[in-house]
Amino acid sequence: MAAPIQPERTPAQRVAETAVLIACALGFLAACIAIPWPKDGPSKLSMEGIGVFVAAGLTLIMYSFLYRDNPLFKVAENLYVGVSLGYGAMMTWYLSLKPEVVDPLVFAPTGEARVDALLHRTVPILLGFLLLTRLSRKHGWLSRYAYTIMIGWGAGIGIPIVVHTYILKQLGPSVQPLTGNVWDILGGVVILVGTVSVLFYFFFSVEHKGAGGAVSRVGIWFLMVSFGASFGYTVMGRVSLLIGRVVFLLRDWLQLNL
Amino acid sequence: MSAPDASLRKALLARRVVYLLLAAAIIVTALAKIKMKVVPSPLSRQVYDRIEKLAKDKPGAPILLSFDYDPSAKEELYPMSQALLRHAFRRNLRPIVMTFWLNGVGLCKELLERTAKEAGKESGTGFVFLAYKPGGSNLLLNMGESLKGAFDKDFYGKPTEGMPALAGVASLRDIPVVVGIAAGSSTEMWIAYGRDRFGFDLAAGCTAVIAPDLYPFLQSDQLFGLLGGLRGAADYEVLIGKPDSGVGGMPAQSVAHFLIIGLILVANAHVFLRWLKRRREA
Repeated sequence: MAAPIQPERTPAQRVAETAVLIACALGFLAACIAIPWPKDGPSKLSMEGIGVFVAAGLTLIMYSFLYRDNPLFKVAENLYVGVSLGYGAMMTWYLSLKPEVVDPLVFAPTGEARVDALLHRTVPILLGFLLLTRLSRKHGWLSRYAYTIMIGWGAGIGIPIVVHTYILKQLGPSVQPLTGNVWDILGGVVILVGTVSVLFYFFFSVEHKGAGGAVSRVGIWFLMVSFGASFGYTVMGRVSLLIGRVVFLLRDWLQLNL
Repeated sequence: MSAPDASLRKALLARRVVYLLLAAAIIVTALAKIKMKVVPSPLSRQVYDRIEKLAKDKPGAPILLSFDYDPSAKEELYPMSQALLRHAFRRNLRPIVMTFWLNGVGLCKELLERTAKEAGKESGTGFVFLAYKPGGSNLLLNMGESLKGAFDKDFYGKPTEGMPALAGVASLRDIPVVVGIAAGSSTEMWIAYGRDRFGFDLAAGCTAVIAPDLYPFLQSDQLFGLLGGLRGAADYEVLIGKPDSGVGGMPAQSVAHFLIIGLILVANAHVFLRWLKRRREA
């Protein structure tokens, strides 16, 4: 995450901010010790309890970025990347490499099963190894064979499907007959005008002047409405994330009855 | 202090005030325990009605739930996944749960095991957890040919062949309803490589950010319903009659939205007044 543009701090401000940071960290630790937890729930020193404290601390550290970039935020940010990668690596091993490659080839129950596994998996495994040659400058060119197959196969499968799903299927509702009740007709007209005007806005071979300019301007309005809807939903999504974290801090960490 | 530095400090201060107001609004609303009536939207109701119809027409039918998100989208998508699972278990459907997101496996497992325990269902008979496999769209095509070929074992290592929860399911064509809960583009993948090819009914649940992108698919009937963000989760919790964190989050969500609308109005009024002042001075 890029740090927001901020004015330079004086040495005195730096010392003061570091002191505040240390005070906040100590305050958090004191709160963790002082908060009374219910007797019937998990204890503070159980794995679950420690997990709640770690999650609460990391949540507060991540939100400290809203004030200013700071060393604790950097630690939490790198921790997040490291944990995600480590978890991803372990899951890849247990859910993909071990059951798909190692178990069928190394721990095959019978010789016949091993031969069968070899027949089905040798080419994909070789292609996978070719992709790894990207790590070497000298042998990196070998990865192109694997990429060639991936791109060729992907394009062959993907192009007809994408044309069908995103163009042909979408054409139907865009050119519906103007029948039904008033709202259906109005909806049909709005879709028709919106589709035509937005398409015209992206038609750059003709100068947008006169009648063409007017259609193009209508297209801009439709685009603006669409951006507004997207922005509204984005705000809703971000606020939901904040609500989730606030509820976690109040209920799970501070043990407040919400 | 130079002029640009001063204006930067002013902008930073204003931004921090906005953050503080937003945090205060959410904390106060949560502590005040404000209750709010949630009226389910037609799009959420369509998802609920279709699953009800499935349970009525084909008792014990399989329903595939694809939870394609990781902890970063948990606050929005976990409540709706939970509500959907509770609904499926309550109607004695057989959820087949999977994810296209590697980092979402742990979250899925915890949710599925907890809701299954609530409903008294067991892995292999009441539900199947297929977890994750790499491949994305290729995996979908493979599932469309043979589900048990694509996943020869479930997450717990049990062979899927002969599993009671997968009885009568050879491929995606044998699953009448699929619901894809996604924080990314996997819903579109389910539409293009799944629904349009293998003919099952597809509904989507998604983060609010990507909901506008999915509306065109509702109009073309490629999706039969949509649960958008925390609001979609709240709708579904109301529909199944078990309010949880979705419904609980709605008062804070509404207060935060009012605050943001107010701040937008204030900021626009400020800009407008400044423009008027400049105009008068000119």
